[in-house]
Amino acid sequence: MGTTNPEFLKGTLDMLILRTLSRGPNHGYGIALHIRRLSQEAFKVGEGSLYPALQRLLVNGWVKAEWGVTDTNRKARVYQITAAGRKQLDAEVRDFDMVLAAIARVMEGA
Amino acid sequence: MKFWNRFRLRSRGNRLEGDLTDEIRLHRELLREEFERDGMPAVEAARAAARQFGNAGAAADLSRDEWAFPRFDAIAKDVRFALRLMLRHPLLTGAAVLTVAFGVGANTAILSILETVLLNPLGMRHTERIMAARVHVDRLHMKNAPNSATDFRDVQTMTDVFSLVSAAEGRVWTYDNGGEAVRMLGRAVTPEFFAVFDAAPAAGHFFSASDTNAVVLSYSMWQSQFGGDPNIAGRSVNFDGKPYRITGVAPRNFRYPADVSAYSLLTVTPARIAQGRGNNMNMTVLARLRAGVTPQQAIERVRRFSQAQQAADTDEGRDLAKSGYGLDLTPFADFVAGDLRSPLWLLWAAALVVLVTGCANVAGLLLTRSSGRRKEIAIRLSLGATRWQIVRQLLLESLLMGAAGGVAGLAMAKLGVSLVTRASVPGKQLLELVVLDNRMLLYGLGLAMASSLLFGLVPAIQLLRDSQAAVMVRSRRRWFQDAFVVAEVGGAFVLLVMTGLLLRSLWTVQQIQPGFDARNVTTAYYTKPANDPGFERRLKTSLQSAPGVESAALVYPVPFTQGGLTSSFRIRNRERTPGEPEWHGEAYFVTPEYFGTLRIPILAGRNFAETDDEKAPTACIIDCKMADRFFPHQDPLGQEIGMYKGWARIVGVAATVRADGLEEETRPVVYYPLPQIPFFKTAAALVRSPGPAGNLIRETVRRTNPSVPVYDVLSMEERIAEKLGIRRVLAGLLAIFGGISLLLATIGIYGVIAQVVAERTQEIGVRIALGARPGQILGQFLGHGLRSAGLGIALGGVATFAIQKWISGLLYQVKAFDWLTIAAALAAILIVLLVAVWWPARRASRIDPQIALRYE
Repeated sequence: MGTTNPEFLKGTLDMLILRTLSRGPNHGYGIALHIRRLSQEAFKVGEGSLYPALQRLLVNGWVKAEWGVTDTNRKARVYQITAAGRKQLDAEVRDFDMVLAAIARVMEGA
Repeated sequence: MKFWNRFRLRSRGNRLEGDLTDEIRLHRELLREEFERDGMPAVEAARAAARQFGNAGAAADLSRDEWAFPRFDAIAKDVRFALRLMLRHPLLTGAAVLTVAFGVGANTAILSILETVLLNPLGMRHTERIMAARVHVDRLHMKNAPNSATDFRDVQTMTDVFSLVSAAEGRVWTYDNGGEAVRMLGRAVTPEFFAVFDAAPAAGHFFSASDTNAVVLSYSMWQSQFGGDPNIAGRSVNFDGKPYRITGVAPRNFRYPADVSAYSLLTVTPARIAQGRGNNMNMTVLARLRAGVTPQQAIERVRRFSQAQQAADTDEGRDLAKSGYGLDLTPFADFVAGDLRSPLWLLWAAALVVLVTGCANVAGLLLTRSSGRRKEIAIRLSLGATRWQIVRQLLLESLLMGAAGGVAGLAMAKLGVSLVTRASVPGKQLLELVVLDNRMLLYGLGLAMASSLLFGLVPAIQLLRDSQAAVMVRSRRRWFQDAFVVAEVGGAFVLLVMTGLLLRSLWTVQQIQPGFDARNVTTAYYTKPANDPGFERRLKTSLQSAPGVESAALVYPVPFTQGGLTSSFRIRNRERTPGEPEWHGEAYFVTPEYFGTLRIPILAGRNFAETDDEKAPTACIIDCKMADRFFPHQDPLGQEIGMYKGWARIVGVAATVRADGLEEETRPVVYYPLPQIPFFKTAAALVRSPGPAGNLIRETVRRTNPSVPVYDVLSMEERIAEKLGIRRVLAGLLAIFGGISLLLATIGIYGVIAQVVAERTQEIGVRIALGARPGQILGQFLGHGLRSAGLGIALGGVATFAIQKWISGLLYQVKAFDWLTIAAALAAILIVLLVAVWWPARRASRIDPQIALRYE
């Protein structure tokens, strides 16, 4: 486990997963890989914590899951974002932008 | 949405678990392959993959939490825990469940009866606006008597308080049910009758004043005899061989009177109204209150009316004033319930007392057990359980017990109701209608839940307090328990006193001899046939010659059914002294064998003979009471009295009997020869034989004339028992309730003292070691127990005093505050409680200090 505060991560992780899936369906490993690459390994978090987040998204109806086959021809559970998930992602991105902008203003003003 | 998704995900069961495991394994494999591609050796790669993935078990656990219903799962866990605890203390659980079951069962059964009989009479709705008029005649000690046609007219004039007034009177019809003659009860009613009840016909329409010869069928008759034919209006039905046109059907819930099959039109003629008050009193006048008029206002209005009538300066007014004649108004519900009213309320109160003392007892038991759980609770609290979790756990336990008790109680109520509907008491037609409906089931379950909350909350609160502040509050808990014991002892005492009073009354009444020999006598009513003048003579002869019959007689009416026919009479050549009220007596119409069959001695003169028939001059026999009262210093034989059919010569004097109830002093009685007074439609056969003769009578009547229905077949002893029925049932039930609450109080007081002794074992050991005598220890604990008992008894005494006016109407020659009964109840309760307290107190006095000091 990394040092990053897990409570902070909880919401962020959801957003990152939804963002990843908004580019197209993917399995758990694929999602982890994508987040790892894009964040340039900034999130030193166990990839296992992806799974509780995925279950949470399933329960909320933001993603759906189906068993499919990977490029390397292995059976994998493939997640796909739903319409409700896209709406949630938009809302989260908007909130995130607002928070970022607010932080930026405070930091510049100081 | 979330809930539904969770549910959907969950419903897929084990696959969810499997999916997650597979998914995590795949992820780790892919990671390992990634590391191997980067050139790591296999072992190294596996380790790196594990590091990268993090704690797989925790991931799975956290994932599972996402699907779970957290609150639901926690409660399920609590339920499992509570069930385990309950099963580990089977004795305690059993006692609690049984206590609740009995309390709830008794309450639900009695409330069902109350509902049918009192609150919602006969299942009919909106009867609270209906009032029944009754007559009282003070000089005759007559109350709740039926009305005359003149009373009907009087009530009709009070249009300021009543919007509708109806009259009804009984009819008895013979109905041909597929070749078998059946006696059927009917009711002749004025056209307003159904409107008074605001009833709508189930089929057809109700009759109007112009529909002569019309009948409205009861719902059950419509169903059983006409298969619920929707086009029933216009068909006809034969009663007494006479066709009646059916106009409609009464609604299903219309069951007044309870045993009536059809309603015919009653026309109240001016001639009948002119007969005057007090004559031909066969009617029941029912009236609907005008909108905005309260029952109390109407009652007051009728009272003023009767006062004005008596105060009128006319012959009639003086007559009414002299006899104390007036009208009373009773709410329909009370009118229907009649004699069942106060017994039912009393029983309900008693059942509540049992339930409350039961709850107190269970609370006490739980409190005792909970002291053993203080450690468990303390550990759970220190491990981070919240208060609410602990309280929830404790309440859940008592709720589970309550639920089990409630279900068992409803089963008991079901059984109780089926027993009650078969009880043989006056008013049993009403009881037959009692059912345990859904609302009653709800009431029972609610009661069970409420009581379990009651007995669960106290220990829960106590435990939480205990866990906070250690020993100091122990005395407080005992204060609670002492209060429970006081309540239990008080409740038990009240019930014991009531039981005692009722048993004494029952015993006193049973000691009364009716004055005739009721053993081995069977009685059965029959309806006289219309065109068969020799029927009764033939019937009597064949009964007398039937095998096994010692003697047989015919009579109307049978003793212990309704009493003789009350009527005023005159004495030849004698005038009433001024101011003396009218002379009244009761008449029975009998054949000569009547006195021999019931073994009533003829004290003077002669018995009737076969020659006292239609053609002979009217004869009569008077009873001793009449002879003493009206012919004190002269020979009554040869005197003539006028009551039925002109003057009748007194030919004999018979011994006085109690023929209407063991409790009541009978009015002076006049016996007439049955053949000489042929006015009545029914009579009864009276047969003395070694065994029951019901079938013999039925068979003989059928052979004599197959068109004659036989009904109301009972032995004489059964008739007497039925009059005592309410007393028996009431005394029996109260004895059961009283016994149970005494048992509960015993267990309660034993539990408290035993616990106190257990808690103070060390202290007692020290005191004994320092030289306290066993007697002192014993006395101390006896004193503790008896203090609570004494307080309970004192409170019970106050309660007994407060409710004595309730019960006084049910007593016979026993005062409601009867010192003997109270002393007996006191002695009984003290002895039982002394034994209960003696046991643990003696154990305390025999504590061995060596063992006690090591006791933990």
